[in-house]
Amino acid sequence: MKRSTKYLGIPRDAWIRGITMVILLGIWEGASRLGLVSQLMLPAPSKLAATLGNLATNGFPQGIIVFTHMRVTIFRILQGYLIGAFVAIPLGLMVGQIALLERAVNPIVTFARSIATISLLPLAIAWFGVGELSKVLLITYAAFWAVLTNTIQGVRSLDPVYVSVGRMYGARGVKLFFRVILPATLPRIFAGMKIALGLCFMVIIGVEMVGTVQGLGALIQQSRWFYRTDIAIAGTVLIGLFGLAMSLLLDFLERLLLPWAVGLEEVER
Amino acid sequence: MSNSKARLHLVASWAGFLVIILVWQGISTLGLVAPETFPGPVRVAESVVESLSVGRVLEHVGTSLFRVFSGFGIGLFAAVILGVMCGWYIDFGTILRTPIELLRPVPPLAWIPLAIMWLGVGESSKLFVIFLGAFFPIFTNTYKGMMTIEPNVIRAGQMVGLRGWRLLLKVVVPMTLPDIATGMRLGWSYSFGAMVAAEIIAANSGLGYMIMHGRELGLVGVIMFGIILIGTLNMLTDYVIQSLILKRFLRWHYVPEQK
Repeated sequence: MKRSTKYLGIPRDAWIRGITMVILLGIWEGASRLGLVSQLMLPAPSKLAATLGNLATNGFPQGIIVFTHMRVTIFRILQGYLIGAFVAIPLGLMVGQIALLERAVNPIVTFARSIATISLLPLAIAWFGVGELSKVLLITYAAFWAVLTNTIQGVRSLDPVYVSVGRMYGARGVKLFFRVILPATLPRIFAGMKIALGLCFMVIIGVEMVGTVQGLGALIQQSRWFYRTDIAIAGTVLIGLFGLAMSLLLDFLERLLLPWAVGLEEVER
Repeated sequence: MSNSKARLHLVASWAGFLVIILVWQGISTLGLVAPETFPGPVRVAESVVESLSVGRVLEHVGTSLFRVFSGFGIGLFAAVILGVMCGWYIDFGTILRTPIELLRPVPPLAWIPLAIMWLGVGESSKLFVIFLGAFFPIFTNTYKGMMTIEPNVIRAGQMVGLRGWRLLLKVVVPMTLPDIATGMRLGWSYSFGAMVAAEIIAANSGLGYMIMHGRELGLVGVIMFGIILIGTLNMLTDYVIQSLILKRFLRWHYVPEQK
């Protein structure tokens, strides 16, 4: 079934993908110019390119350029994400080692993860207002539980042989923890952090749609009030690219930092 | 595991919840925080009884569940059919996956503004966002399942004389079911989140609306009740879907868990 045929040194699949893209963009551009679809509803790609340029120079709304939106979104994610992970990792490492504690915490974790983070938005606004604090705390919430579950699971699923071998070589206490338990748990922690970052990214887009004009979520939500589909589409495309870049970066980091981690694709989310 | 130890673990699994509820009630009984901002469990129950009727709550629950099940159902249907087709007809798959892979990294919530502009503020824009939440993970997992089938299984099917559509339906699709199930679980949580978000951002019914409206009226008790209700519903539906899949459709695939 392997089709490794090449034309002009480019694999067949790449040709098909490239041609598909060109045809799709061509149909879109043509349909829009000929008026088959409303310019208002689905502006042509050429119009969107101009919109993107405009977003980068003049900005929307009120002169907030697109790079500001990106910076604000990244900064919000990073703050909440790092706080969440830094609290969850030590807690998870502790809980995972005490079976009874793990039992007590498990139902709480399951329930807390079932609460869609976005549903906490009204409560966060009622408690902390519509400012930065609520946004960062919601991100923290999303990151915290995902990292916590995976850290606990990582410790729980640790092969007891590792610990025995470590003990045999005379490692105990702190040394056993840092030389054996932590390195063996790290791949799973990293998997949790990866899942958490994806979650945070989803949550922030929703959170930014309420009560702010800065951030990528705010950009597309604001465009709705002015019925600027071009801005909404351009913004959505940017969000997609942003998400893609983030997951590529994480894959790269994982291979760089944790070369001993294999077969973690099957980790339950 | 000894009997007394098992009992201890059972107690522990309820103790966690109990401690949280007691601390929650304790904070409000001691008056550490103003009850308007942080009502205790008793106060939450009171304010729910005061401002909501059972009928209203059930109406919101019904609306939300109807939305999420319809959107998810359409997403599941489309994703499985397209995923199977993309895996069966390789070139068709390469073509169709080009736009799908480009749209996949966009989180479902980011579609809300566009959905509203394209489809209006009515039901269809919400269904569209919920649909997208389910579609991408189920499609990706279905396709992955199709591409990772053990070739010998297909050869075995061919040996007993199956080919074409019959080979697809009798051998290939059943082999893909475990991956479809994985996608369904992920898709359900995305669909559910998309439903809540769409209702918070633009709706006048459903649980998301109920808590957002609670905020406008300053009723923190109603918000808290709504959040717990949303969490419980999500957990229950996830459990039902999972046990339905595992115990009925995939019984042949999973070894029963040993307790």
